[in-house]
Amino acid sequence: MADAILTVKNLRKTYDDGFEAVKGVSFSVKKGEVFGILGPNGAGKTTTLEMIEGLRTITSGTVELDGLDVQKQPYKVKERIGIQLQSSAFFPNLKLIELLRLFNDLYAQNSDPMALLKEVDLEDKAGAKAKELSGGQRQRFSIATTLVNKPVAIFLDEPTTGLDPQARRNLWDLVQQIQKKGTTVILTTHYMEEAQVLCDRCAIMDEGKIIALDTPNALIKQLLGRGFKPHTQVQAATLEDVFIDLTGKELRD
Amino acid sequence: MSTNRRIQAFKGLFVASLKMYFRNRTAMFFSLFFPIVFISVFGLIFKNNGSSFKIDVVNLSHTQMATQFEQTLKDKVSAFKIKDTSESQAADDLNKGNADLTVIISANFGDTTVKLVNGKYVPSIQPATITAHYNAEKPGNGQAAAQILQEITASMNDQITGTPKVVSVDASGVKTKNLTYIDFLLPGMIGLSIMQIGIFSVAFGFVSYKTTGMLRRLQATPMHPGMFLGAQGLTRLIMAVLQTILLAGIGVLFFGFHLAPEAWLAFLVLALLGSAVFQEIGFAIAGWAKNEDQAQPVAQLIQFPMMFLSGTFFPRDTFPAVLQFITGFLPLTYLADALRHVANDNASLWAVRGDLLGLAVWGVIAGLIAVKVFSWE
Repeated sequence: MADAILTVKNLRKTYDDGFEAVKGVSFSVKKGEVFGILGPNGAGKTTTLEMIEGLRTITSGTVELDGLDVQKQPYKVKERIGIQLQSSAFFPNLKLIELLRLFNDLYAQNSDPMALLKEVDLEDKAGAKAKELSGGQRQRFSIATTLVNKPVAIFLDEPTTGLDPQARRNLWDLVQQIQKKGTTVILTTHYMEEAQVLCDRCAIMDEGKIIALDTPNALIKQLLGRGFKPHTQVQAATLEDVFIDLTGKELRD
Repeated sequence: MSTNRRIQAFKGLFVASLKMYFRNRTAMFFSLFFPIVFISVFGLIFKNNGSSFKIDVVNLSHTQMATQFEQTLKDKVSAFKIKDTSESQAADDLNKGNADLTVIISANFGDTTVKLVNGKYVPSIQPATITAHYNAEKPGNGQAAAQILQEITASMNDQITGTPKVVSVDASGVKTKNLTYIDFLLPGMIGLSIMQIGIFSVAFGFVSYKTTGMLRRLQATPMHPGMFLGAQGLTRLIMAVLQTILLAGIGVLFFGFHLAPEAWLAFLVLALLGSAVFQEIGFAIAGWAKNEDQAQPVAQLIQFPMMFLSGTFFPRDTFPAVLQFITGFLPLTYLADALRHVANDNASLWAVRGDLLGLAVWGVIAGLIAVKVFSWE
C-alpha cells in the first residue's frame, strides 16, 4: 500500500510457555484512517498491538511504522506514536495538569497542557487527580496523554470497555475529532456498533489469526452474499437508541 | 535521544517523583513522623539518665554543718536531685534503681569538741565520714555522682582546714564524657529508618506501579527505563538525608545526642551510602515480585531480623558469640555501627572503612540480584 503508515508482515508471537498468541498476521493501515481490530477475548488483539507499539518482543515477522522498523528503532517509533493501554494507571498524587507536563518532558515536547485538556473536554479537571475521575473522564484523559507528542498515529486498546452509553458516544466523537486532524487511529474493541460507526476498515481476529479484513459495509455485504438471514427481524432502532433517547446524550460524569 | 531530551525527561520524572513522595501521607508518616515520635518517646524516657543524678540523702547528724553540707549538694550541683529520706528507704531506692547514689551523713558529722591549742581552748571539728553507695550493677551514673561528691567533700575539707579554695564542681564536664542510651539508640534508629525508606518504600512503591499498570504506561513513552529508576532513587536518597538531618538534629537539640559539628558530614555521607544499598535491596525485591503479596513477605523476612539483630535497640555484645559473629555481617549492622562510631567517637570515614566495605559488598550483591531478577511486569 503506497500511503500506508503501518505495515505488518507475518507477525508472530510465541510466549515462553509455548503458547502461540499471534500466528502470522499481516495487514497495513492507511494514513489518516481509523482502523479497528475486532475479536473475542484471547484472540491476540492486545498482543498484536503491543508488538506493533514496541512494548512486547516480536517472535518473528516485521512491523514498519512511519517508515521505521519497530524492532530496530523502538524508541524512535515511540516518539512518533501515542499509546493508550487497556488498563493504565497514572502516578498517584499528581494532578492532571502535572501528569501532562510529565508526559511533555518524557517526549521532550512543549505542548500546552490546558489546550490538551480542552481537546478532551477536561479543562475544569486540571487540578484533579486521576483517581478522582469517572471512567469516561479517565479514558478521555488517557487519550489526552497520547496526544502530547503530536503523534502520527495513536493506538487505543478497548477505549470504551466499561463505559456507559453516553460516555461511549462521547468518546466516539473524540476519536472522530482526532481523525479529522489527520491522526491515524488504530483501535481494538468488543463492540460491533462502535466499529461500524468509527472504523474505515476493520480486521477480525480469532485464535491469533486475521480471518477477515475490509470496510464494515463490505464485511456485512459479504455475509449477506453468503445467504445469511438474521435470527430475529431487524428493527429500525436498537435498545441502546431507546436508552439514549430516554436518558439523553448528556454526559453523566 | 539527545542529551537535552534526556535532561528534560529526567527532570520531569524527578519533579514528579518528589511531588508524589511528599504528597503521599503514608510515606511521610513512616519516613518522617513515625521516627520522630519514636525518638522523642525514647529520648524522654532516657533523658534523665545522663544529665541528672537521683541522690538519696540520709542525714543522721543534726549539726549545722551537716545541714550546710546537704544544702551545698543541693545548691552547687544542679544535676543532683536530692531526696531526704531514711536509711531503709534509701537502701530500697537503690535496690529498685530509683536512686543512683545514696549518701549517709554519719551521726557524729560536724560534732565539735574543745581542744587546748597553744594554751587556748579552741573548738575543733571531729573527723567524720560520709558513706556513699551506688549500684555496682549499674555503675555509670552512681560512679559519676560519687566522683562529684568526693570533689565537694574535698573542697569542704580544704575550707575547714583553712586553705582557701572556692568550691566549684563542673557537672557538665562529667556529662560530656558520659554517653547515654540515646547516643547508642539514635544512630541505630537512623539506620533503621534508612533501611525502611530503602527496602519497604521502594519494594512497595515500585510493585504498586507494576500492578496498577503505571510502569507499562511509562514504557509506552520513549523514556529510557534507567531514567525512571534514577529519578525514584534520587528522591529517596534526598529523603534519607532529610530524615537523618531531622532525627539527628532533634536528638542533638532536645535529647543530648552527641554529634560534633565536624562529624555531621561523615554522618550524612554514611546515610547516603546506606540508603543507596538498601534501595538496591528494595529494587531487587520489587523487580522480582509480581505483586504486593509477593513483595510483602520477602521484604519483612529481610527487614524484621535486622531490626533486632543489628544492634539498633540493644548492643550486640549481649548476644551469644555465634550470633554476634553472624549478625556482624548484616548490612544494617555495618550502617548502624558506622553511624554510632562517627557520632560517639567523632570517627572519620576512613576509621569506619571496614563498615563501608561491608556495605559496599552488600550493594554489589543486591545490585547483581536486582539486575538478574528484574522485570517490568
